[in-house]
Amino acid sequence: MTRTFKHIVLALIVVVWVLPFIALVTTSLRSETASKTSGFWTAFTPTELGHRFSTHNKGETEPFVTMSGNIFERLNKDRGSFEVSGDVKSILFKGRVPDPEKEGKTKLIRQLIFAGEVMNVRDGEFVFQSNGDFTWTFPEATAPKPKNIDAFINQNPVFGTDAYIEVLFENKNVPNALISSFIVTIPATIIPITIAAFAAYAFAWMRFPGRDWLFVIVVSLMVVPTQLAFLPVLQGFSGIASWATSLNAWMTDCEVTKTCQVASKTFASLWVTHTAFGLPLAIYLLRNYIVGLPKELLESARIDGASHLQIFTRLIIPLSVPALASFSIFQFLWVWNDLIVALYIGPADSADLVFPIRLQKQLGTFKDQLHLLNASAVISMIVPVIIFLSMQRYFIRGLLAGSVKGG
Amino acid sequence: MAQVELKGVNKSFGKVQVIHDVDLHIEHGEFVVFVGPSGCGKSTLLRLIAGLENLSSGEIFIADRPVMDLPPSKRGIAMVFQSYALYPHMTVFHNMAFSLDLQGFSKAEIRQRVEAAATILQMEHLLDRRPAALSGGQRQRVAIGRAIVRNPDVFLFDEPLSNLDAALRHDTRVEIAKLHEQLGATTIYVTHDQVEAMTLADKIVVLKDGRVMQVGSPMELFNAPANEFVAGFLGSPKMNFFEGVLSGGAGTDTGQFDGEGLSATGVRLVSQEKSTGDAVRLGIRPQHMMLDANGPLTGTVTLVEQLGTETVVELQSASETSFRFAAAESLDIKAGQQVSFSFDPGRAHLF
Repeated sequence: MTRTFKHIVLALIVVVWVLPFIALVTTSLRSETASKTSGFWTAFTPTELGHRFSTHNKGETEPFVTMSGNIFERLNKDRGSFEVSGDVKSILFKGRVPDPEKEGKTKLIRQLIFAGEVMNVRDGEFVFQSNGDFTWTFPEATAPKPKNIDAFINQNPVFGTDAYIEVLFENKNVPNALISSFIVTIPATIIPITIAAFAAYAFAWMRFPGRDWLFVIVVSLMVVPTQLAFLPVLQGFSGIASWATSLNAWMTDCEVTKTCQVASKTFASLWVTHTAFGLPLAIYLLRNYIVGLPKELLESARIDGASHLQIFTRLIIPLSVPALASFSIFQFLWVWNDLIVALYIGPADSADLVFPIRLQKQLGTFKDQLHLLNASAVISMIVPVIIFLSMQRYFIRGLLAGSVKGG
Repeated sequence: MAQVELKGVNKSFGKVQVIHDVDLHIEHGEFVVFVGPSGCGKSTLLRLIAGLENLSSGEIFIADRPVMDLPPSKRGIAMVFQSYALYPHMTVFHNMAFSLDLQGFSKAEIRQRVEAAATILQMEHLLDRRPAALSGGQRQRVAIGRAIVRNPDVFLFDEPLSNLDAALRHDTRVEIAKLHEQLGATTIYVTHDQVEAMTLADKIVVLKDGRVMQVGSPMELFNAPANEFVAGFLGSPKMNFFEGVLSGGAGTDTGQFDGEGLSATGVRLVSQEKSTGDAVRLGIRPQHMMLDANGPLTGTVTLVEQLGTETVVELQSASETSFRFAAAESLDIKAGQQVSFSFDPGRAHLF
C-alpha cells in the first residue's frame, strides 16, 4: 500500500466518523424551521428564503409624506434569536393596480420587484434597497394601513443556542438524565477499575496455585453476552430485593406506613452489573500491562523492603496510569452509552432515567423537532468527549522512560 | 562482621538444575567476582544470595545468620541491577529514600542519609531529577546510591557495567573499586567480562554450567589455572592449546610433553592423575611465546591484528591447530608468512 492511498483511506475514515457529529451539532444550533426545511449542509452558505413583513405597526396612524424603514428591522422586531440578515433580492408584489384596459377598474397582479425599482403600494411609491432600507412616499401626508409584503432574502448563515436552552431549562428531563447518568457511570467506572487493578497485580506478579487457569477462566468470561445474563441477573436482584423487604419489615416498623418494599432495579444494581461485565476485560488489559513492567523494578522494591501492598500502591499504580486511564475511558464510554442494561436493570422512575433512555423517549415526545433531539444528543456526547480529551495525555507512552536501559 | 557462607547450594528450575553443590566462603570486606560465560548460573547464584530465588537445597549464611527463610529486605543486602531498575516516577532523592521510607525512618534522618550517600557519589546536584533526565552513567550512580543508603552488610552487583559504553565502563569500574575501598563492605559482583573480574576482585569465582571451576585471587587463577576452562576463560587473547601426550613426569608437579612436533620438559602439570602416555593438552598464553627463528613451534600466519598497543597474530600449525601470538609492539609480519616461536616451559601448563 502506498502512502497516499493510506492517507486517503485514513481521511475517509475520519470523514465517516466526524460527519455525523458535525451534522448533529449543526442541526442543534439551527432554528426549528431551518432544521425542518433544509439539510444541515445548507446551514453554512447563504440561502434564499421568503419572509413576510409589514411596513409598520397596526396602531401607527400618524400621517406622513415619506416613511423610511428597514426590512430587516421589521423582520427581526419580534425575534430574540436567529435574526435575519443578508441581501434583499426581490419582493413579490401582490395587489391591485389600475387596469389599463378597463377605465376606472383595478386588477390583481403578482409581480417580482427588484431593488431600486419603484412599486405602487396603496398609491404611494415604495422603493427598497438590497440592504433592506425602504422608503414609502406619498404625494401628500397620508396615514395608510400597514401593508404585508413578501420579500425574498438571500439570508446569511445564522446559528443560535435556543434548542439547548429549551432542552436544558424548559423541563427537568435532560438535567435529570445527566445527573442519573453520572450517578451510574462514575461508580460503575471506579469500582471495576479498582478491583481489576488488584486482581491484575495478583495475576501478574503473585504466585498462587491455579493462577493461570483462573486467569483463563476470567478472560473467557469476556465472551458471555450481557443479554444472556439478564434473566439470572434480574432474578438475583429481585431475590435480594424481596429478602431485603422481609428484613426491612422485620427490623423496622415500616408496615405502618406501607414502605417496606425495597426496589430491585436501582442505581446499585447497575453498578454491580456493569462492574461484573466490565471486570474480565479490565483484568485482562491491566494484567497484560502490569506483567510487562520491568521485573527488576519489583525485585528492587522487594529488596528495599516493600510488601506486595506497598509495591502495588507505590510502584504499580503510578506506573500503570496509562493503562488505568485507557480502561477508564473504555468503561466510561460503554456505561455512559449503555441503553439495554439500564433499560432492564436500572431504575424505571422517570426522574432516574439515564441519558440513552431519555434520548429514546425524546424520539417519541419531540417527534420531528430535530433541533431539540440533536441538542440532547450533543449534550450526551459532550461528556465523553470532555472525559476523553482530559485523559488523553495519559495515553502518551514513555512514562517508563529512564527506569531501565534505553527506556 | 559480614562474611557470606554458601554450603551445598543447589538450585533447579523445574527439571533443569542450574546450580550444582556450590560451597563458598566470602570474608568480611572482600570483593568477590563471579565470572563465567552466559548461562553459567552466576546471576542465579547472586539472586539466591539476595533471596530473589528460593534454594532447592543447601544453606546460605550472611554474617553468621542463616538467611534461607528471610525475605530479601531482611538479609542485610543491597543489590544493583544490570538495568538499574530505578523507579521512573520518583526523583533521584525519592528513589534513594524509598527503602528508608519503608523502614519508617524520620524525614530528617532520611534526608541526612540520602545526602551523605549523594556526597560519596558526587551527585548532590541530581537529587531533584527524574531517572529519565539522567545519562546512563548517572543512572548507574543512582542505582549504587540507592544501595549505599541502605547501609547493607553485603553489596550485590549484577553486571552493573554492561549497559555502559566502553569509556564510561572503565571510569565506573575505577569508581566502584574506590567506593569499595572507602566503604569496606563485603561485595559480590557478577560479570561475564574477565577484565572487570581481574581488575576489581580480591577473589574470583569462575563458574561453568552451575559448578564452581576455581576460586582464588586473580593472579593465582591467571598463573595457575586449575583446569583448561579457567585457563581458557581468563586472559585475552585466549590461551593456545596443543594436543599431545604426556611422556614423563606423571604424578609430579612438572611433566614432559610430546606433540605438535615439539618436546618440552619442566612444564607445570595440572593433574596428578595423568600417567605417562596419556593424551594431554599443552597450554601457552599468546603473550608468553617469543619470536625465535630456531624455535620449535612453527605456524603459517592467517591474520594480523594491529591493536596499537598490541599486535595479535593468528596462525595455523602444520597439524592445522589454530593458535595466536601476541606481542606488545608493532611487528612486520604478513599473512602467509611462516613464523617460528620458542616458549618458556615454566610458564606453560599441561592439562
